[in-house]
Amino acid sequence: MASIAGSSSLMASLSCHKPNQALSRASNFNAVSLAINGKSFPSLKLHSAPSRLRVSCAAKPETVDKVCSIVRKQLALPEDSAVTGESKFSSLGADSLDTVEIVMGLEEEFGISVEEESAQTIATVQDAADLIEKLIEKK
Amino acid sequence: MFPYSCKLCLKIKIHCVNQRMFCTSSLLSPLQLPSQMETHLWYILPNEVKSESLMKKYVDLLSPIEKEHVCSMRRDELQKNALLARALICSQVSPRSIEFKKNAHGKPEVCWQHSDDWHPPPLHFNLSHTSSLIACGITVGSPIGIDVEEKQRTMKNNILSFARRYFSREEVERLSAISDPEVQRQEVIKLWTLKEAYVKALGTGFAGAPFNTFTIRFGSANPNPNAKDSAMVIVPLENPSLLSTNWRFAQVELAGSHYAAICRENGGISEGAPMKLIVRKTVPLVEEHCVSEIDTVV
Repeated sequence: MASIAGSSSLMASLSCHKPNQALSRASNFNAVSLAINGKSFPSLKLHSAPSRLRVSCAAKPETVDKVCSIVRKQLALPEDSAVTGESKFSSLGADSLDTVEIVMGLEEEFGISVEEESAQTIATVQDAADLIEKLIEKK
Repeated sequence: MFPYSCKLCLKIKIHCVNQRMFCTSSLLSPLQLPSQMETHLWYILPNEVKSESLMKKYVDLLSPIEKEHVCSMRRDELQKNALLARALICSQVSPRSIEFKKNAHGKPEVCWQHSDDWHPPPLHFNLSHTSSLIACGITVGSPIGIDVEEKQRTMKNNILSFARRYFSREEVERLSAISDPEVQRQEVIKLWTLKEAYVKALGTGFAGAPFNTFTIRFGSANPNPNAKDSAMVIVPLENPSLLSTNWRFAQVELAGSHYAAICRENGGISEGAPMKLIVRKTVPLVEEHCVSEIDTVV
């Protein structure tokens, strides 16, 4: 029986389904002593390693921003219009010709080449940014 | 009066006698499906549809999923056009007996809800729209793809760079040879609509037939695209000798402002017989009038 005060909440947070949340709670405990059945264990150091527990490898914010500005230019959207990583191209009003022009713009801006199969999977700005970084990495 | 042109027509019949007005009590017109030899092209000009109460009637035509899709559009104009597009289809084909589903590649299709003793017609449709025009092509028994673009649409990229990136070499050669930049721009856009219509008819998505893997060739004998006997054929680049004549194309102008391309399979049209394209302008549930009937060459 663990005899740390608050042990049950620590265990609960470590077993919860949202790893990021667990980390943010656990990050308050840099070192924890567990005493079970009177025996004490060496301290557990909890390292926060968010990149390992992130659900997807998201692109850098600068990449997303560049994609947003290329999209804004292609679709002639005002500067203050809401274009974020989650924006869907279709919801922004991009038709097929806009989409291929955007792809061309991204190819020129980032020096990459986008295959049709990959282009077809892009639905949001974030998708485009993620694909760009994947292609840059491959170069 | 009717500012359209069709490169493929041998005979053009202009009818404007078919003007029908629907009274509001009969919200849905009877099914008026094309025969197997016909292709129907319907279009709406959203700027002419302003009535709030009419828009509410359109919303009532939609299934819950379709309503949700319309509401997901971020701008009012986009919402309105998404609504009109669905109303266009639903008002032509009774929505009570059909549902819309998507094929494996995301192409919307009709799914009939029917009883065992009724065999529904194999209805095919395809939508395309710009901010100022919504069009729908309908056939029975043959996959169809359509695409519309504004005639005045400007490309953000250099025209020939765009062509080189997306079109086949033969097409780029043909387009590069056009000396007038305005005509060149128009031809690029028209070719885009033809290729897009073909890929949409195939239903396998953009990646299923990347644009630079096939050429659309205008009449092998006569390089002049305005020649009356020019026909469009698909030339797959992998095997150029294997011309595909399974697909029929038509290119028309709509409302003086748009290029439209229609592509359908031959099915139902006997060898040598013309495809009949009937173009109608409509305000769903209110009125429609026939803009033209065109007999297109093989």
